[in-house]
Amino acid sequence: MLLTEKQNDALSELINIAFARTAAALSSLSGHRVLLEAPTIDAYGIDELPDVIGNFMTEEVATVHQIFTGPVSGDALLLLNYHGAIMLTDSLCEHQRPSRRLDTSSQEALTEVGNILLNACLGVFGNLLKVHVSFSMPRLHLESLDQLLRSITIGSEELRYSVVVSTAFHVKESSVSGYLVIILGVSSLDRLLRAVEMWEEDQKG
Amino acid sequence: MAKILVVDDSALSRRMLRSILESAAHNVIEAADGMIAIEKYFLEKPDVVLLDLIMRGMVGIEVLKKLRQMDPQVKVVVATADIQASTQMIVLEEGATSFVSKPFVSEQILIAVNSALEV
Repeated sequence: MLLTEKQNDALSELINIAFARTAAALSSLSGHRVLLEAPTIDAYGIDELPDVIGNFMTEEVATVHQIFTGPVSGDALLLLNYHGAIMLTDSLCEHQRPSRRLDTSSQEALTEVGNILLNACLGVFGNLLKVHVSFSMPRLHLESLDQLLRSITIGSEELRYSVVVSTAFHVKESSVSGYLVIILGVSSLDRLLRAVEMWEEDQKG
Repeated sequence: MAKILVVDDSALSRRMLRSILESAAHNVIEAADGMIAIEKYFLEKPDVVLLDLIMRGMVGIEVLKKLRQMDPQVKVVVATADIQASTQMIVLEEGATSFVSKPFVSEQILIAVNSALEV
């Protein structure tokens, strides 16, 4: 078992808060209610990562990727179904007619959306756990997710396992849906769990 | 009605801020990166600067430091996706007037700008 029941409960609570903040930000941007599924936390061998995350969404996806560093470090991904990404950016960019593909301005808008949503999620970690997290420039990927995921694993210092925290979301009354994914190395997970334990103790007062 | 310099590498964010600020009859000038922001500050002498933090090239903190070197009285409202309290402390220690987070809420932006103008 990756986590004890107590660790799983505490980490799940933290993640719920973080993902809820992200959903609130997306709701604000889209003008619609956002529905979240319960998050899952699992560990995978490094080589399994492309298949695991690649299976989250089998249709064409747009992905915003942001690296975060600090006491807890890793990679954060926002995966959006491509058609939904077009709808979202059409409304943000005030396009007069529905687009068929993501043009330059839409890609830029989508990158900024990803920046806002991923910062909302990871910023909650920083605030609640009293650690400072730094972020890379967000990058949009429209090509195969496989290439991106292999580059993450090759660049990682964590050679054997990754911990994947994910949740599915759906924007009500629209076809926008996707996943929030956080990938951590095992040593980062260990530091995260220690910080979560301290947070839990603080909560008890 | 004030002249406000919006510094953000995101065209979407610059557009949103322009819309909010112009609705309150402010005059908006834009800069898409830190170097342009410093040039425009020198040339245009805006009343307030709205500054993003994570940008290509010169990051927001460096822009803030440079602006403060040029003009210790500069009024900078940091407007960023980074919601961390620790980031807020860092920018306020570096001399920012206040801090607002994305996604933008009109009222919060206008309150922050008005507060900066009153300082």
